[in-house]
Amino acid sequence: MGPYFRALAGRRRAVLALLGWSVLEGVPALLSGRLVGLAVDRGFAVGDVRTGVAWLVAFAVVAVLGGFGLRQVFTRLGDVVEPLRDALVTTVVRGVLHDGRAHRRRPDASAVARITRHVEVVRDATAGLLVQARALLVTTTAALVGLATTVSSVAWLVVLPVVAALLLFGALLPSLARGQRALVLADEGAAEAAGAVLLGVRDVVACDARDHAAADVRRQVDRQARAAVRVAWASALRGAVIGVGGFLPLALLLVLAPGMVARGALSAGDVLAAVVYLGTSVQPALRRLADTTSTVVLRLAVALRRLAEVAPDVPPAGDLVPDGGGVELRGVTFGWGEHAEPVVRDLDLALPPGTHLAVVGPSGIGKSTLASLVTGLVEPRAGVVLLGGAPVRLVRPAERSRRIALVPQETYLFTGTVRENLALFAPDASDDELLAAVAAVGAADVVDRLGGLAGEVGHAGGGLSAGEAQLLAAARVYACPADVVVLDEATSNLDPAAEAVVERAFAARGGVLVVIAHRLSSALRADRVLVMDGGAPLLGSHDELMAGSAAYAELMAAWQPVSAG
Amino acid sequence: MLLRSVVLRDPRWLLLAVNALLATAAGLLLPAALAGAVDAALGGRLDPPAVLRLVALAGVELIGDAIGVVLAAAITARGTAWLRHRLTTRLLALGHPGRFEAGDAVSRLTGDSAIAGGFAVLLVNLGISLLTAVGAVTALALLDWRLAAVFLLSVPLALLLVRSHLRLTADDVATYQEVSGELSARLLDAVGGLRTIAAAGRADQEAARVLRPLPRLAAAGVGMWRTQARMIWRAGLLLPAVELAVLTAAGFGVVAGRLSVGDVLAALGYAGLGMAVVGQAQVLTAVQRARAAAARVAEVLDAEPAPAPAPADAPPGVVELRGVCVPGALHDVDLVVPAGACVAVVGRSGSGKSALAAVIGGLTAPASGQVARGGSVGYAFERPALLGGTVADGVGYGVTPDRDRVVAACRAAQVHDVVVRLPDGYDTPMADAPLSGGEAQRLGLARAVVRDPQVLVLDDATASLDTVTESTVEHALASALPGRTRVVVTHRAATARRADLVVWLAGGRVRAVDAHRSLWEDAEYRAVFG
Repeated sequence: MGPYFRALAGRRRAVLALLGWSVLEGVPALLSGRLVGLAVDRGFAVGDVRTGVAWLVAFAVVAVLGGFGLRQVFTRLGDVVEPLRDALVTTVVRGVLHDGRAHRRRPDASAVARITRHVEVVRDATAGLLVQARALLVTTTAALVGLATTVSSVAWLVVLPVVAALLLFGALLPSLARGQRALVLADEGAAEAAGAVLLGVRDVVACDARDHAAADVRRQVDRQARAAVRVAWASALRGAVIGVGGFLPLALLLVLAPGMVARGALSAGDVLAAVVYLGTSVQPALRRLADTTSTVVLRLAVALRRLAEVAPDVPPAGDLVPDGGGVELRGVTFGWGEHAEPVVRDLDLALPPGTHLAVVGPSGIGKSTLASLVTGLVEPRAGVVLLGGAPVRLVRPAERSRRIALVPQETYLFTGTVRENLALFAPDASDDELLAAVAAVGAADVVDRLGGLAGEVGHAGGGLSAGEAQLLAAARVYACPADVVVLDEATSNLDPAAEAVVERAFAARGGVLVVIAHRLSSALRADRVLVMDGGAPLLGSHDELMAGSAAYAELMAAWQPVSAG
Repeated sequence: MLLRSVVLRDPRWLLLAVNALLATAAGLLLPAALAGAVDAALGGRLDPPAVLRLVALAGVELIGDAIGVVLAAAITARGTAWLRHRLTTRLLALGHPGRFEAGDAVSRLTGDSAIAGGFAVLLVNLGISLLTAVGAVTALALLDWRLAAVFLLSVPLALLLVRSHLRLTADDVATYQEVSGELSARLLDAVGGLRTIAAAGRADQEAARVLRPLPRLAAAGVGMWRTQARMIWRAGLLLPAVELAVLTAAGFGVVAGRLSVGDVLAALGYAGLGMAVVGQAQVLTAVQRARAAAARVAEVLDAEPAPAPAPADAPPGVVELRGVCVPGALHDVDLVVPAGACVAVVGRSGSGKSALAAVIGGLTAPASGQVARGGSVGYAFERPALLGGTVADGVGYGVTPDRDRVVAACRAAQVHDVVVRLPDGYDTPMADAPLSGGEAQRLGLARAVVRDPQVLVLDDATASLDTVTESTVEHALASALPGRTRVVVTHRAATARRADLVVWLAGGRVRAVDAHRSLWEDAEYRAVFG
């Protein structure tokens, strides 16, 4: 919620301008009762039609003024709400992209859609609040002021019940908020359960689990229905509280007024004015508070909270600048959870500059985790990863990303020119340097087909095959200044020949090269091989391992080139 | 029709209507009671019955409103849930391939059913607001027929005065939605490359890139608010204009002695109540919307599942297809899968491989032809949808086996080592276990293995595994389910080579059934593998 209020505070001037216009909007509430009272008192009740009509015309003019004020308020709404939405979108996008948990848990398309929806709820709810809650405040205040000046002697009997009702209403809010949140969660739960089952009908049928699936959905649907009814009970209660608070002053007034009229303390017009204030301004405003405004507040609170969950705070970064080269792992252990089997256990690994290491083993065993550890994306549970002698997690982030580059299996291409995509990590690289990198990894054909460096790339690398996208991602890292390069199954969608071109290019580039292998052929090209197969890690050259490790020899024997018939 | 049964199956709509009638009647009597009490007060005498009447009427209205809120929510919730239950059952009964695209089915189940489920409440509300308007005009006429005439004349005139042809300018709305979508697409791009971005420490720069279209979004948003301001301004004048007319008429009534001062208040109150109906154009739109939603729900409920005759018997592990046709996929396929054999199904994309696998396992019933099958079937897919709360539930989906069997199946599918490294092992919630394609495939395999089937159908179910892992999985499967028939759809020559028999499909027909070694002579066969 912090960014929300900071952004709102940043729009102080626009908010003030909007509030200024709402004073004008409050004029009808301030004067309407008085004017109707005057029309009757001075005009119709004493048979002076012209005066009566004149006061009513004044009533109309005031209404037009108020309408004009409301129009100005709406016109200025954009100046407050849109920048607010901008700020929120910015915070959320930055939060998502900074998310420290990102290496494991990624928001997918539906999560992105949900984020968009929450942001829109915040926008609409803020606008709704500025329109309704503000109008409510202005109207109620204006009406109470009008009331106090007309029938000052009985102002207390209006103010007290209204304040009491508002306090009681405030006390009810937390439980209302809980109910509303439960409803939002139940809605999402039902949609998720239905989505999972309906997107997986094939699997449900294949598992012969129709009843099971239907029962799963049914449970969530029923939970949603119960949550909706619970929220309705709470709304009914708050409606009753507010209704009583709005009506009680009217009843009290009608009990007390006769005596005061008889004593001459109140005129007919005063009583009329008071009833108009109460009946046409205060009571409707309070009802709106109960019906819509509080729902808007609750929706806003729930959406802001859900957004805060999407965008967690960014952890602090270190400030070391290593002077040496190479990477070293000392006694590194890492696991995804306390109860989980460690993915990497007590690993020692020294990679001086010039090392070309291949990591082989079955998929899912934690090879990618090793890549995340070397690049400082995750913190080891025990032990330390050193970059040029300094703990990699404590290296200044800009320095770390200048020195280390990772090419993951899933490529990142964005809509823009080929040049923008290639120069992502080397913004100052010349066209020649970029084209040299493209040629080195064998991506020249792809770049030519896209129309050279000025060609366009679509969303998610639209128009490119997965292999072509991987070639561009490789060229991008080849062109950057990093002296530690980690290829994490970065060539999985290339054919073996193209893969060999990429790996040889990086090996010739110098520095430390770590190849998380998709195919065992990668091991043949490396000067050192790390075998991860769930047991203790094995390290050596290909020949050493073939001679010394039965497991490695067996792995190699099981692997045969696919081409033969 | 569907809406009819939505309303009638839950008789509480009657309760809602009666309650609303009471509250409305109280609301209609309230201004008159107020006028009486005010007149008494102006006369300087306290009239306890008049005040009590007022309090009682307000009480009835308040309590009625509260009851109405709860009743309406309960009726809508129950109606919606009823539709959702029926939709779920029917959509599942329609089977695979479904007649409704999955995203469309989800929107019918979550969106349309909620709108249709609220129909009873909508009808009652519509009736009540019409009744309120008629009651208000009647009350005005009872006070003074001139008041009713002025009201009835002034409403259309005022509507004409403020009538606004302004809609939210389509351009701004379209731009807003388009830019909003563009932002989402950019965010999705960046999220897909999160590891690249994190490793390169470029979160801020990439955020800026994602946010580049933001100024256009803001401009469109500001435009929408300005249009709305013009609409609101005109609409806001409606009520004061009518109030002014009625008040003036009432003033003349007071001068002429037809009306008391309290009656002026009553007239103001009734004018307000009568105007409430003007906003009801939305309700009519809502009725239309509910009908459209109900039609979309009914379309699903009326869809009849295709009759699926039980397959003929065959010796255990044998599958026989005779003259099988699946429209658009398979033509006149004859095939015998021998018991205990490993049969590979190969062919170019679109040649009908998945359809054949679906018919062999009974996932899809053929449009014509016969299928005879001996024993149960286990399926694994290239992209399995893993259902269930936790990883263990996902593997045991639909059979709920004990933990030992789940673990054994995961070992056979070579995925046990992956599962024990998840944050909570087998109890890790499925949603918190984002798995790579290969890991998900192996969990899907484990799900097939745990059912201990006679026939195992693998529809490209190891495509994302590296070749080493794939062959390990094959060996483990053979030893975990010895002697079972296996039908394997594949793109890989190595897999076809290890099979006992290859079914080569082309254009939905069986091109040849033979050993891989013999077929390999044929250049066209080799071309299948690229």
